[in-house]
Amino acid sequence: MWMSVEVNGHIYEREVTEHWTLLRFLREDLELTGTKDGCSAGECGACTVMLNGQAVNACMVLAAEADGATVETIEAEAVDGELSEIQAAFARNYAVQCGYCTAGMVMSVRELLEHNPKPTVAEIKEGIEGNLCRCTGYQQIIEAVLDVSGQIDSKSRGGLKYV
Amino acid sequence: MNDGFKYRAPTSRAELFGLLAAHGEGAKILAGGTDLLVDIRSGLVRPELVINLKKVEDFPELVWSQSQGLIIGPATTVNDVLHDPKVRDCYPLLAECALSIASHQLRNRATVIGNIVHASPGADMAPGLLCLGARVQIASQRGRRELFLKDFFTGVKRTVLGHDEIVESITVPAGTARSRGSYRKLKRIDGHDLSLVGVALTNTDGDVRVGIGSAAPTPLLIEGLTDQDPADAVVAAARAAIRPISDLRCSKEYREYMIEVFVRRLLEEVR
Repeated sequence: MWMSVEVNGHIYEREVTEHWTLLRFLREDLELTGTKDGCSAGECGACTVMLNGQAVNACMVLAAEADGATVETIEAEAVDGELSEIQAAFARNYAVQCGYCTAGMVMSVRELLEHNPKPTVAEIKEGIEGNLCRCTGYQQIIEAVLDVSGQIDSKSRGGLKYV
Repeated sequence: MNDGFKYRAPTSRAELFGLLAAHGEGAKILAGGTDLLVDIRSGLVRPELVINLKKVEDFPELVWSQSQGLIIGPATTVNDVLHDPKVRDCYPLLAECALSIASHQLRNRATVIGNIVHASPGADMAPGLLCLGARVQIASQRGRRELFLKDFFTGVKRTVLGHDEIVESITVPAGTARSRGSYRKLKRIDGHDLSLVGVALTNTDGDVRVGIGSAAPTPLLIEGLTDQDPADAVVAAARAAIRPISDLRCSKEYREYMIEVFVRRLLEEVR
């Protein structure tokens, strides 16, 4: 199917394989490999991207469904080599270990903060419920979100606390 | 994803019904995709045609009116219901059921009607919709028909829907708006998980109804109870209706036990 989709501000017009997922299209056609393929079944959240401004699992969307849509991926997060505020908070709080979940996690945190600029710990847990991380135990990720939402004072934020 | 299926995104009901009539069993409807794409990937279904119904322009949307109650459309997502001010005001039970489903990303895609049409015994929207007296409007090229949701399910992932039919809307009567009641879902973990059991219970002007999921081949509705009935009688009615099994998530006995616990707690809350 011939389709047109805006990804990270660029319009792509091309033939898309009708049974491909949006995830496969992003990674294999557009070579945007920041978005990861974890479970391919909507369980792990590693493939989370923004579709028309909403966080979705790219493995649970057909590429053809994105015809006429706007997609944003982790590649749009840093601008001119500068980390976004969320990315910088993740780095500062050691919220990244192997990094496989990070792209999806950052997308979910972005969606959470758009709706709720100062989430409680319970709300953060609910917001990242669809994103599995097998390295951090989540504590550092929760602290990164508290940090970027201005809920940790500058003296005690960041650093390696758990090793 | 298995290769070989074609994709169409009709823009009108007529075009959609024509495709369904022409392809019969070989066509599958794609709404949220959160069940269908998993089933295709695992080889459970092998459609020749996948029909995205989200581009159809003449379908109902999520809307509330005093005369018709709540209308849920084919593209209404679980998060649409969860965040709708009218739902939260009139049918907070439905918002509770919605919040219990999967994760935020999946709720952004998964549709309420898809949750019902997929007909999993543990469909989380079902117990609440059953308690609130929801009706299902079915449409095809042949015309329209309507039935109560309690008559819609016929077995595990089976419904009365023909291959050429779709559920065009689910309506919740205005008469059950602001019913007192709540939903309890037992999971293995606090986060994203399927239900071990799910129990909704409502009190609408003294009329008590219990909706139960993951306790029989289909979601169940138990009617004909009142808020004057002793708790033991309500529990007995629930026990008589359920037919739970043991599976990888928990045992039959644990399901029976927790359904009783939830029924007693919920009844206490609505008396």
